[in-house]
Amino acid sequence: MQQIINKPLASTFGWLHMNGTLLEVPEEKEQQSLVIPSGEKKLLILDNDTAAEALTAEVEEGALLQLIQISRPGSRQIRDIRVRCQKDARFEWYRLVLKSGEIYDNLSVTLEGNGSSFQAEIGYDLISGSHLDMNCEAIHLGKNTVSDIHSLGVLNGDAFKLLRGTIDLRRGCQGAKGKEFEDVLLLSDQAHNQSIPVILCAEEDVEGDHGATIGQIPEEVIFYLTSRGISEEAIYSLMARSKLEAVIRTLPDEELKNSLLERESL
Amino acid sequence: MSEKTVIQDVSREFYDFRYAENAAYKVDSGLTEAIVRQISEEKKDPEWMRDFRLRSLEIFHKTPMPDWGPSIEGLNMDHIVTYVRPNTQRMQKSWEDVPEDIKNTFERLGIPQSERESLAGVGAQYDSELVYHNVREEVARQGVIYTDIESALHGSYADMIRDHFMKLVPPTDHKFAALHGAVWSGGSFVYVPRGASVEIPLQSYFRLNAPGAGQFEHTLIIVEEGAYLHFIEGCSAPKYNVANLHAGCVELFVGKGATLRYSTIENWSKNMYNLNTKRALVEEGGKIEWVSGSFGSHVSYLYPMSILHGRGARSEFTGVTFAGEGQNLDTGCKVVHQAPETSSYVNTRSISKSGGISTFRSALVIDRKAEGSKASVSCQSLMLDDISRSDTIPAMDIRTAKADVGHEAKIGRISDEAVFYLMSRGLSEEDARAMIVSGFAENVSKELPLEYAVEMNNLIRIEMKGAIG
Repeated sequence: MQQIINKPLASTFGWLHMNGTLLEVPEEKEQQSLVIPSGEKKLLILDNDTAAEALTAEVEEGALLQLIQISRPGSRQIRDIRVRCQKDARFEWYRLVLKSGEIYDNLSVTLEGNGSSFQAEIGYDLISGSHLDMNCEAIHLGKNTVSDIHSLGVLNGDAFKLLRGTIDLRRGCQGAKGKEFEDVLLLSDQAHNQSIPVILCAEEDVEGDHGATIGQIPEEVIFYLTSRGISEEAIYSLMARSKLEAVIRTLPDEELKNSLLERESL
Repeated sequence: MSEKTVIQDVSREFYDFRYAENAAYKVDSGLTEAIVRQISEEKKDPEWMRDFRLRSLEIFHKTPMPDWGPSIEGLNMDHIVTYVRPNTQRMQKSWEDVPEDIKNTFERLGIPQSERESLAGVGAQYDSELVYHNVREEVARQGVIYTDIESALHGSYADMIRDHFMKLVPPTDHKFAALHGAVWSGGSFVYVPRGASVEIPLQSYFRLNAPGAGQFEHTLIIVEEGAYLHFIEGCSAPKYNVANLHAGCVELFVGKGATLRYSTIENWSKNMYNLNTKRALVEEGGKIEWVSGSFGSHVSYLYPMSILHGRGARSEFTGVTFAGEGQNLDTGCKVVHQAPETSSYVNTRSISKSGGISTFRSALVIDRKAEGSKASVSCQSLMLDDISRSDTIPAMDIRTAKADVGHEAKIGRISDEAVFYLMSRGLSEEDARAMIVSGFAENVSKELPLEYAVEMNNLIRIEMKGAIG
């Protein structure tokens, strides 16, 4: 069944073809539905190669949900995740895409309760043939809600990546803060990066921020490191590794974090 | 709880005067082949132009409405009059020959006065036709051509018009580009020959007087190698209860090493659908500088596009958008880097108040061939109350590793500390807020010639006048 997935809350110009992706989607999806009871903490690790999955989670008052989602080389996945945070609840999303795959992620977080928060840590290091298509949105309804979408990545060969990130500051979310930051390192002239960092704002007493840097390693960094005797090739792999490592180091699961860091090649 | 300032609506009295419609000729409302043929005949089009109009009309009927911007449901093409010829037989070179009501309109807008004081040439369009055009002798002596596009179509520049007309913005571009191709009328043609530098700006002023009418002027500017031009565009209309439509088209060709600065202060009335298309093609080492102030109209779709076609071509876009009650202003820009070592810089500010909606929408594309290109986008938005809306939708598409792209966006409100500081220096809260907003829009005002910067700041001051409570 063909359908449009990863459709963002706001559309851009039609000719850019970034307003959602038309895809053959399997009719059978694994469905998961979670409730994190008030005051509890849950760590969920999705480290499998399930093709299609839908997950909904309700994070009750003061509860914390940490979701680590890893795509190993060669994964083909379509995921749709919807999370709702009640008062003072928190959702943390750790998203790693390692090397290769064909990945479609749709994540929608509704910060319904006052003081609820969402943190996204996205990291990827993609090689030729990879295709990463993401839609990540934070909808601020409650007062003093906070969202932070942080993404670091590297594209090699003819890898393709599209990140649609939306912070939606709805009317009534006084005191809310939304932040997006993206850093993409392009290591090949065949690589293709698309980014659309959207901030929608219908409230006065809020702060919305976005920053992005996309491109090559700055010349002065290359100059400095080559002057220290490091080859250019080594600099590239060092910089690429450092981006992914920075995300891995934020993982809340020590065992998984160490096993990933110990791998010679990430 | 922080104190709120209620900022009142704009006083538009300055622009809202109007004269009884006194058209010499107008077509029926709606859009049919017969109407397009009628316009073509009335304008004595060459055959190729008539065919072009008819082809565009076919494209218009086949092309769907855009599905991504603000609603244009209130716009019914069946009610829009596409051609209104004002009460003057032909374009005048002498101000004295312009009919009284039209002359009064432009006198009140201060156009002849600016012409005397600070412009190298002026064109004034009233409804569908240019009624007055003049260029200073010393500028004409440099070989600079500034005329209405219809005259150019029949004169010695006919081939140049044919080679460039709607080549940058083809009728297939979008529905309103097709509409423009079918019913365009009026507008200016500027040709600046190689090496010529026009030190003081040229200006075109567009005034739409007839209710329920459309204005579809075409501006074509060719700046040859090493030349310089500053072109200023102003637009306004009185307010009616029926929808008016502006679907103009601006095509700019910037030659090797040439620079073109294109400034616009747009203050259409709040019943206007402003669906305007502007595009520049920049050759090697050339530069396009857009300065854009959007204050008027009910709905705007406005995204000047720069195509950096030659090595080292550059573009700068500086814009401010002020959306008040009943306005949905969707503005921004598009930049396509097609050649190596090209650079672009975008710096915009938007302000929303009294339920106004402002959207910054941009596209930045860096092609595979554009190695060594640099791009920087910065957009800031200010929310003046909690019933307005401000959206930022910047898209980036990067296809080469040898590029440097930086982007930053911020949305916020006037900080209480800044207001408090200014008030402690003796300013009233209203003045303090007006000063902060003027400062916020300084990116644009400092790029405009002094007279226009003063006008823009006055506009902001008028917009910011209101009760504190």
